Amino acid sequence: MTDRNTQAEIIRQSLKRRYRKERRFRAYGILAIAIALSALVVLFVDIIGKGHTAFIKTTVTLEVDIDPEMMYLDDATDERQLRMADFVEPLVQALLREVPGATEANRDAVRDLLNPYASNQLRDALKENPELLGTTQTMTFLTHTNVDVYVKHAGDEDYSIKLSDRQQAWVDQLLDKGVIETSFNDVLFSRGDSRDPSRAGILGAIVGSLLTMFVTLILSFPIGVAAAIYLEEFAPQNRFTDFIEVNINNLAAVPSIIFGLLGLAVFINLFGMPRSVPLVGGLVLTLMTLPTIIISSRAAIKSVPPSIREAAEGIGASKMQVVLHHVLPLALPGMLTGSIIGMAQALGETAPLLLIGMVAFIVDVPDGFLDSATVLPVQVFLWAGSPELAFIERASAAIMVLLAFLISMNALAIWLRKRLERRW
Amino acid sequence: MSTMNTLKPAVDKEVGASRDTVVPAHEERPESAVIEEAKTVGKPFSDDPKFKLRNVEVFYGQDRAIKNISLDIARNEVIAFIGPSGCGKSTFLRCLNRMNDSIDICRVRGSLLLDDQNIYDSKRDVVELRARVGMVFQKPNPFPKSIYDNVAYGPRIHGLANRKSDLDDIVENSLRKAGLWDEAKDRLDATATGMSGGQQQRLCIARAIAISPEVILMDEPCSALDPIATAKVEELIAEMSESYTIVIVTHSMQQAARVSHRTAYFHLGHLVEVNETNKVFTAPEHELTESYITGRFG
Amino acid sequence: MPTKKEDMYGDHISHQFNDDLSQLKSDFLDMGGLVEQQTIDAVNALIDGDSDAADEIRARDKVVDRMEMTLDEEATRLIARRQPAARDLRFVISVIKMVSDLERVGDEAKKIAKFALTLAEEGQAPRGYVEVRHIGNHVTTMLHDALDAFSRLDAHQALKIMREDKRVDEEYQAATRTLLTFMMEDTRNISRCMSVLWVLRALERVGDHACNIAENVIYMVEGEDVRHTPVEEAEKVVGR
Repeated sequence: MTDRNTQAEIIRQSLKRRYRKERRFRAYGILAIAIALSALVVLFVDIIGKGHTAFIKTTVTLEVDIDPEMMYLDDATDERQLRMADFVEPLVQALLREVPGATEANRDAVRDLLNPYASNQLRDALKENPELLGTTQTMTFLTHTNVDVYVKHAGDEDYSIKLSDRQQAWVDQLLDKGVIETSFNDVLFSRGDSRDPSRAGILGAIVGSLLTMFVTLILSFPIGVAAAIYLEEFAPQNRFTDFIEVNINNLAAVPSIIFGLLGLAVFINLFGMPRSVPLVGGLVLTLMTLPTIIISSRAAIKSVPPSIREAAEGIGASKMQVVLHHVLPLALPGMLTGSIIGMAQALGETAPLLLIGMVAFIVDVPDGFLDSATVLPVQVFLWAGSPELAFIERASAAIMVLLAFLISMNALAIWLRKRLERRW
Repeated sequence: MSTMNTLKPAVDKEVGASRDTVVPAHEERPESAVIEEAKTVGKPFSDDPKFKLRNVEVFYGQDRAIKNISLDIARNEVIAFIGPSGCGKSTFLRCLNRMNDSIDICRVRGSLLLDDQNIYDSKRDVVELRARVGMVFQKPNPFPKSIYDNVAYGPRIHGLANRKSDLDDIVENSLRKAGLWDEAKDRLDATATGMSGGQQQRLCIARAIAISPEVILMDEPCSALDPIATAKVEELIAEMSESYTIVIVTHSMQQAARVSHRTAYFHLGHLVEVNETNKVFTAPEHELTESYITGRFG
Repeated sequence: MPTKKEDMYGDHISHQFNDDLSQLKSDFLDMGGLVEQQTIDAVNALIDGDSDAADEIRARDKVVDRMEMTLDEEATRLIARRQPAARDLRFVISVIKMVSDLERVGDEAKKIAKFALTLAEEGQAPRGYVEVRHIGNHVTTMLHDALDAFSRLDAHQALKIMREDKRVDEEYQAATRTLLTFMMEDTRNISRCMSVLWVLRALERVGDHACNIAENVIYMVEGEDVRHTPVEEAEKVVGR
């Protein structure tokens, strides 16, 4: 037999080895987390680096002389006259007054500093307020996208500056005079899509996403929870239920684009529902989310301690009462967490929606479940594929908004779980 | 089947081996100790039975967990079931309010009468049975609700109280009977899970008696409690024995000796001996009972 | 009969428990042996008129008393620490009771030794010590058998001792009558006869204690209390 001292020595030796192993293992873990974190940091830096400028808009403030003669407009209340009138001229004149050294000969070059839709803005203002005719108003217009790009990205090699040297000089001067200014881009959050990057916003996509998510939540949560409760509490254990269980697990692993095809075939072709609408999008995402919700809800139900069930049964609660009074309240936090994570997944989903036509170019903000709409990830997809760099920065901005939504949904899940979780 | 079917415990390798008992090497049961099936030693029958159980057999799939047991449980008596782990005492207890129903592979055979009505009648409503035969479990398992709601739950689902004041009375009475009123009256709205283990177990007892059952089944009610809490629960059992029939499964022989009127010794699914508790703990009739009680195995 | 019962305290899961029980048993048998020897020696000292031996016996009673205390303490400790049940419980309880019987027997031996001293001074009693020798033999055998029945857990032998006790009582009655006649014949004999009578009385008490021990052995083995019941009842209990 080893005597006490040598045994203690042996243990001390092996302890050293064990601690070394432990430290090495811990180092691996820290390394793994560091890799994941750095990937995340790279992603954020890239997206924010590219996208932060999308939150800035470039505007030009002009003293517009709304001269009826110049515009060939006598009566601002007359629809026909309004349609025929020239709204570009007063803007060009106003700008010409501001630009030092610019003459009538430069009018085209000067006009190109203004956003093509600036004249529409003037018309809309007059249409709304006909008395403005004949007065001089201080008005703020968006600049041309080229000016916007120049102001934000002058000197950046990735961006091609499409302004001529003279135009560039003008813009610099106007910036110095304070005629051209940059400010927070409210357009991004108040408008739908547009062909003109400086007028393109994500409001349409946000509303489309919310409508779609609403449909998905309303359908998938009750159906998923009900299915989970039935399978877990009431279904007999036989081959049929085994078969169902295997299939639910399989469905969770099916690529999402397949659900898109299914939605296209069933909802649109078979039931004749309209394309590109949040209702169909919601239905497709419901199909996709259901397995996740069912699986997580079943896990939540399983984790309810049997002692609680026994306690309720022991004082004569019926099966239904056991489930409704005891199992469900205790499983609810887990179910909600699972559902929110499923919803977050659905929020970020693009592929199935492409197939049901939610990829269309839609300018208007949707105002109902049956109105054509697009969703945030699809908007990102559309803009990211655009050749114009000004759209790329807006895509990054949309990604940021999408991430903010996802993070807040996950935070909500965690908060709900903390809040509702009861100890037993 | 033959009643002469004698089984040597050493040969019978059912239940026992699969449970949590680690069989000590020197555990050699007396060679002469033979269990004769359906021949319970002592006084298994009573003149005034609450439960009349005849030739009860319980199967878990192919395993016969309870082997032809006949027993009467008298009105307002405290009967203790003792025996080594895996002897079937809990299984047998759970037959009495059909808690085994939820286990799919479990089948019960034989005649089990509560006040001369068959417990396992297919027409019998298990909810009504459990309202008459309450149960207290090994681990205190209060609902994660307030103390008040825990006690009021049973009366609520059975519709025993129509008005809030009636319900309040039931809750107060039950807590009083469970000796918990003084400790709990100022915090009826506090969650039950915040109480100590002993208080939780007494709350579970209060919850069981809130629906005024006739019988209370207790499955090792003190195994998770400290000695003081155990003493309080035992005191409670003694008080309750005046108005309830109590069946208690326990691993503690001292507890069986302290609280019960009669003691039943189970061994490998057999009911070996039933006798007055005094008799069992001073002069048991069966060799196996004696060996178990004196700590020779188990 | 039951040979397996001989080892009835040897198969607990707890070895410590086994050791405690067998320690109690062997200590009890030691005390029993000593007390038996004391009685025999006292009777012999009386018959031989050996006052030195009688003194020795009186001194040795201290040892008996100490043994009684040790055994009581052991038994108390065993109850407190092991909570014996069933046959173990009966064993410990019986030992506690039998220890006090043994201690009384020791006292009786001491008493006999005292009378041995007195009688050695006064001289031989007129009729000699025929009855003393006879009853003395009888009760010491009973005591020996009782201890033997205890050590072998033999209820049948214990039953025999209960029957013997009746015979001792009869012999004692007869001896008393004989001594009475002697006293009536000659009043000078009264003092010495009275001493012998006391000795006989002590021996009869020893028989009673042996009988008590036998009853306790039956309780220990069969779990049935046979004290204060007719021997026929006890026979039924043991005969089962």
